[in-house]
Amino acid sequence: MKEVGEKPASAGEPARGIAPDRLTQPSPVRSSGREFGWLRLPSGEEIVVAIILTIFLIGFPWLHPGYRFLSLAITTGFTAIALYGLGLQFGQAGIMSVGHAAFMGIGAYTAGILAGKLGIGFWGALPFSVLFSALFAGLIGLPSLRVSGQHYIIITFCFCALLNIAFTNGGSFTGGATGLDVGSIDPVFGINFDRLLNAYYLIVVALFLCLLITYLLVNSSYGRTLRAVRENEVLARAVGINANVQKISVLMVSGAFAGVAGILQAYYLRHISPTLYGPFPSLYLALMVMLGGSRLLYGPLIGAIIVSFLPEIMHLDPIDSRIAYGICLLVVILLLPGGVSAGLLNLYRRLLSKRR
Amino acid sequence: MQIFIQQLVNSLSVASVTILIGIGITLIFGLAGIVNFAHGEFLMVGGMITWFLVNSGVNFFVALVGAMICVGALGLVAERGLFRFTLERPMNGFIMSIGLSVILQHLVIRVFNEVQKTIPDPVGEVWVVGGVNIIAMRAIVVALTAVVVAITYFGISRSRYGIALRASIADPDTAALMGIPVRRYVTGVFIYGSVLAGLGGALMIALFPITPFTGSVVIIRGFAVSLIGGLGNVGGAVVGGLILGLVDGLSAGYGFPEWTDAYALVVMIVILIVRPQGLLGGTLGPRATG
Repeated sequence: MKEVGEKPASAGEPARGIAPDRLTQPSPVRSSGREFGWLRLPSGEEIVVAIILTIFLIGFPWLHPGYRFLSLAITTGFTAIALYGLGLQFGQAGIMSVGHAAFMGIGAYTAGILAGKLGIGFWGALPFSVLFSALFAGLIGLPSLRVSGQHYIIITFCFCALLNIAFTNGGSFTGGATGLDVGSIDPVFGINFDRLLNAYYLIVVALFLCLLITYLLVNSSYGRTLRAVRENEVLARAVGINANVQKISVLMVSGAFAGVAGILQAYYLRHISPTLYGPFPSLYLALMVMLGGSRLLYGPLIGAIIVSFLPEIMHLDPIDSRIAYGICLLVVILLLPGGVSAGLLNLYRRLLSKRR
Repeated sequence: MQIFIQQLVNSLSVASVTILIGIGITLIFGLAGIVNFAHGEFLMVGGMITWFLVNSGVNFFVALVGAMICVGALGLVAERGLFRFTLERPMNGFIMSIGLSVILQHLVIRVFNEVQKTIPDPVGEVWVVGGVNIIAMRAIVVALTAVVVAITYFGISRSRYGIALRASIADPDTAALMGIPVRRYVTGVFIYGSVLAGLGGALMIALFPITPFTGSVVIIRGFAVSLIGGLGNVGGAVVGGLILGLVDGLSAGYGFPEWTDAYALVVMIVILIVRPQGLLGGTLGPRATG
């Protein structure tokens, strides 16, 4: 089983949509040699990066970022959580979606409807948001068993547009075009999440959980089977992998991540409306994941950070920043097909080999 | 009955624009193997150029030709500058085209603004045929589309260029050995599709107002049309456009108008799942993974 997942360069015939050598060269799964049961243990470098990231994320408020940057960081956080779902399904299983905001929408609207109709708060609604998003993602993923590639991508886009129309025409149930209001997050252990700082830490905790889950999934036997299905589905089926279960399950995990992101966004903005979850936000999610790179652990996070913070740092107005964003994407795809994260890793490896 | 016929004529003119964009997509997607998500933006740019030229006092039909040339040039730049490098990785090309559509959309907002643009009806006549009022411009749109469809259909199925094109899709290596410049055909198809998008944009602004966000609405309909009919199949695109146009026109007249967009999406999803090769059959397009 292990061999199938670890040999991306030779699997997959040359006619496939992607040149395997260029994208998988900076392979996220360099066998470090240390295994713990079904799990590949992190290498020393990975642990160092993780510790630096932890310190930075926890210490970020001490840099006095101000209200604007702190709220940007929160936005980045929940966007990144949704991106991790998308990164998992695209990077590991090779199933792209340009309708991913729809699942955030399911999560957010579940929370909004539960709060408005039944008076259930954030913590009560969280499991339902996750559950419904995952179920919808699985349901919408069913066609992926039959059609693949661009056809499936277009289906996801259609579903997203369709759901958006349903949200808009939902009458008082979904609040129509104006949307729904939700309250604030109920305090836990006396922590009041109305304070921006506490909300930030809540998002950081959620982001860490999601990073951890992603790491565990990617580096387990489950992740290896997913990559086997991605690289050569026929071969994977031939060695006894149930590719259908693998695909639907990864789409459901991805949907669950989007559900968490959706409910966090809903309670951060306190108001949700259909435009937040339409085709445009979906496209931007797909672009962010491609910008950051979907195969490496920190790719989606890098993509979210670049897109949220770059316009603010360079003082671009929204229109210019969209143009800049599009140009960045073209450059990245043409020059670094694996995304910014793969580019950084390549650079690091090159520096390392020069010093030796 | 008269209302029904009027609805029919109106939906036929709407369907014409959809067919034009659908043919462009079906050729570029099915034959050149490029999924161009910016195709709707190409159409929008064509409409904007027409609006700009007409507002500076140019005759509409001259402006129409101008829009076709400009959008064709845009297509040439996009193919040579961007999509040429992702022919082996269609997925990356697809993502790049989304980036391109974002750029084009916001460039148009930057150059003009995001207010919707209209031009006065360039012909401004109404014909009465058997008690049915037909706006002349709508009839011209339908006629122009019919001409384009005929040229494209016979060009692809009968002319030697069409045969060479189909040969280079069926087996690029053998076609290249026979002396067919395969890459140049890909560029040619891309430009031809872009010119049709320019034409579609010019005709669209003659019928309805256009905003910088029109492209993203149109693109989904274009994909719907080309996928319903079958990729690379011109006749299929016409059938798809007619189905979509009729569903739209009739649902707007009789059904629940706020769900109009949803019907097209549902039709498309069902056909994609039940018959991925389209109603009339076609290529499956480029294969794409990871």
